Amino acid sequence: MQIEFKVNGKSCSLDICPTMRLIDLLRDELGLTGTKEGCGEGECGACTVIIDGEAVNSCLVLAPQVRGKEIITVEGLAGDGELDSLQQKFIEHSAVECGFCTPGMLMSAKALLMKNPHPSEEEIRQALAGNLCRCSGYSKIIEAVKDVASLS
Amino acid sequence: MSKGFKYVGNTFPCSDAARKVTGDLLYGTDMKLPHLLHAKLLLSSIPHGIVKRIDTSRAEKVPGVIKIFSHLNAPDKMFNSFRIIPGQELCIEDEPLFSRRVKYVGDRVAAVAATSLAAAREAAALIDVEYEELPALLTTEEALSNKEVKIQPGGNLAHEYEVDVGEVPFKAEECITVESETQTQRTHHGALEPHVCLAYYDCSGKLTVWTPTQGVFGVRTVLAEFFGLSYSKVRVIKIPMGGSFGGKQEFLFEPLTAFMAMETKRPVKLLLDREECIIHTRVRPAVKTKIKTVVTKSGKLQEFTADSTLDAGAFSGSAPDYTSSLALKVTKLYRIPHYKHTGRAVYTNTVKSGGARGWAAPEIITATEVHMDQVARKLKMDPVEFRLQNLVHPYDLDLVLNLSVGDARVIECLERGAEAFHWKERYNQGMGRGRYRRGIGAACGAHKNGMYGGFVDCTSMVMKMNEDGSFNLNASLHDVGCGTVTAMGIIAAEVLDVDPNLITVTEADTELTGYDPGCYGSRVIYNVGACAKETAEKLKEKILECAAFILHKPKEYLIIENGSVFVKGTEYLSLTYKEIAEKTLQENYTDLSAAHTYYSPSNPGSYSVQFAEVEVDTETGLTRVTDFLAVGDVGRAINRGMVEGQFQGAVQMGIGYALCEEVKIDEQGKPVNNSFKKYHLVNAPDMPDVQVLLIEHEGDDGPFGAKSVGEISAVPTAAAVINAVNHALGTSLSDMPLTPEKLLAAVKNR
Repeated sequence: MQIEFKVNGKSCSLDICPTMRLIDLLRDELGLTGTKEGCGEGECGACTVIIDGEAVNSCLVLAPQVRGKEIITVEGLAGDGELDSLQQKFIEHSAVECGFCTPGMLMSAKALLMKNPHPSEEEIRQALAGNLCRCSGYSKIIEAVKDVASLS
Repeated sequence: MSKGFKYVGNTFPCSDAARKVTGDLLYGTDMKLPHLLHAKLLLSSIPHGIVKRIDTSRAEKVPGVIKIFSHLNAPDKMFNSFRIIPGQELCIEDEPLFSRRVKYVGDRVAAVAATSLAAAREAAALIDVEYEELPALLTTEEALSNKEVKIQPGGNLAHEYEVDVGEVPFKAEECITVESETQTQRTHHGALEPHVCLAYYDCSGKLTVWTPTQGVFGVRTVLAEFFGLSYSKVRVIKIPMGGSFGGKQEFLFEPLTAFMAMETKRPVKLLLDREECIIHTRVRPAVKTKIKTVVTKSGKLQEFTADSTLDAGAFSGSAPDYTSSLALKVTKLYRIPHYKHTGRAVYTNTVKSGGARGWAAPEIITATEVHMDQVARKLKMDPVEFRLQNLVHPYDLDLVLNLSVGDARVIECLERGAEAFHWKERYNQGMGRGRYRRGIGAACGAHKNGMYGGFVDCTSMVMKMNEDGSFNLNASLHDVGCGTVTAMGIIAAEVLDVDPNLITVTEADTELTGYDPGCYGSRVIYNVGACAKETAEKLKEKILECAAFILHKPKEYLIIENGSVFVKGTEYLSLTYKEIAEKTLQENYTDLSAAHTYYSPSNPGSYSVQFAEVEVDTETGLTRVTDFLAVGDVGRAINRGMVEGQFQGAVQMGIGYALCEEVKIDEQGKPVNNSFKKYHLVNAPDMPDVQVLLIEHEGDDGPFGAKSVGEISAVPTAAAVINAVNHALGTSLSDMPLTPEKLLAAVKNR
């Protein structure tokens, strides 16, 4: 089936199998491998992308569900060669270790900040509740998000 | 900035951080090769039995299927996934590529190689397997008592050990005896990146394997020996790794992926899903430990007797070594006149056990530290005061290993931590009488710094200066994600006084980088880091020699500062590194490089003391960790932010170990917690903000005094949390994890 949608600002029109998952569409069809698969059942959050402003596990979305929608993946965060302030702060705060959860963490944090530019620590922790990290204990990730929230 | 250092001790992002935040870094899960085949495993659904028949006829009809593998068309040769060097002791070769007699739910029965992962999955689901079931032994007790059923040909006892050191001291004062039993459970490593491996066997007879491993040379050893290939024709390349925690330290899938690549003559990628990672790969072993101590009434340890039983799972793997290591931790931590430890590893029809962060220390230290709180309670002493009387002092002799514990600062960790945590005030506060009970707990831990004293621990590097004054450090790093590549750059930068960004450090590739046994035994910063320092120092001497030649001054007159060489006292006479590199090529017809092999000379202890505050809801049984302090005797932090991150991440793992993580096996032998839905990792709202306090003394042989951090950080966490729960409830719980069910039962029984 043919679907049209936007990814990272670019319009796409693709002929896809109706049972394809969004994560496979992004990774295999569009080569956007920044979105990671850690569990395939919406528990780890590594595959988080933003669909029309909402953070969503792309492993739980069927590709036809994004028809007419606008998706942002981790590849779409940096603009014109310049890193997004979230990306920059993750780097500065040593919030990046093995990096496998990082894209999903960034997208959940981005979706939060798009809606609520000045979240409390509690709100940040809740927004990242669906993103598991085994390296960091979350402390430095939360510091990084707090730092971005204090910037604007 | 640390005193006296320009780069060491500051915070630097890991060198590939920009690639990770943009999604640009390719992991094994993302890698593609031309004509790549995708493989999918078929795992046993029963815990013990004979594969009577495998019908692949329906599976073969799936479009895209190239070949289906099982014991019917694979060699019946065995390997050991833990063999790092040929002839390594305690490596029993008992693991086949595919089992004919399956030994646990999750054992490998077959694999499909197809042109797409979807086709491989579809086909694997269509393979019909007929089993003849055999009695399954699911616990170590059953396996030891049942003499009829043998899981491995030699029986169910995989390994036994006994350590007995020191002498029973003359007891000048009255003593008490305390006995305890602690059960630590099987856990999943929980790296977010699933296991993955790619292999290609080209027409010249060379095998290339891309794998996120902790030891490329060990992978090469296993592959070359298994397939009868020359070591020089096996190239193993370490690729980016999305976390390991020991889960990827053994060579689990390289032999199988290589076999499929050799058979199909195409590149093959094997990627596991989460369920396979949990039920098929390796788990932290479950260990039951009984401890008996004799202690004077004034609180001095006299005798420590322990007996441990480790559940090895169905294959030996690393279990014999791991089990023996249970006896190598306690005497690094406490002064004990007489220490005796007996133990065994036992085969069961359950998921294979394997290496896990801390290599036996979290298991035995948890049992020890939970026990020590029981002793303190019996003595009516503050648990911190009791420990202070018995912890090792700097340069004590570890009786078991007959090695110095080095500049061991565990007492300072405990004293400074107790002060920062306001231990005394908080410990003596009431735990509350209402629904929510608060308690605090402390625990100490010890771990090692490498393999010195028992195994090969050398590493070789080459460093060169380029024509523009930048550097390449050619090293066999296996960065598991915590920034060891970055740390090596910082160390070399400090020696050469250049921006670390000017130094590019490699990871391991058996064909291109020097020998290194791998990222094991907390040896990387202490030993590989020391090699980076000495290699950079060797190169620095060469730079000075060349500068001396160019400047016509004795080398002794020259100093290095900020990427240039100066003549002492004459600031105008100087050469930048770039000028030296250019002139050396043009005028001396030589390049600037240094090769070095480093042999570790010592193996001191690394220490951590951790403090937890918990709140237990006596109506739901739920425990929240509300405050946490981790103190680390790390010698010297090379990259401060990353060192703190090691502790904070370790605490996440340790809280899960204490309270909720477990790979449970049901009565039919099936793993209950086979997904992240059922296997709970602590998430952001449930984590306290972990404070980290670093104790830095530089008294040992690591680079700038640095000692290991990645494993020691994870050693005392669970015990600190358990001790806090026991303090809150007035209990002596030691059957992990402390789930709500167990806590409710304990509250009810009080």
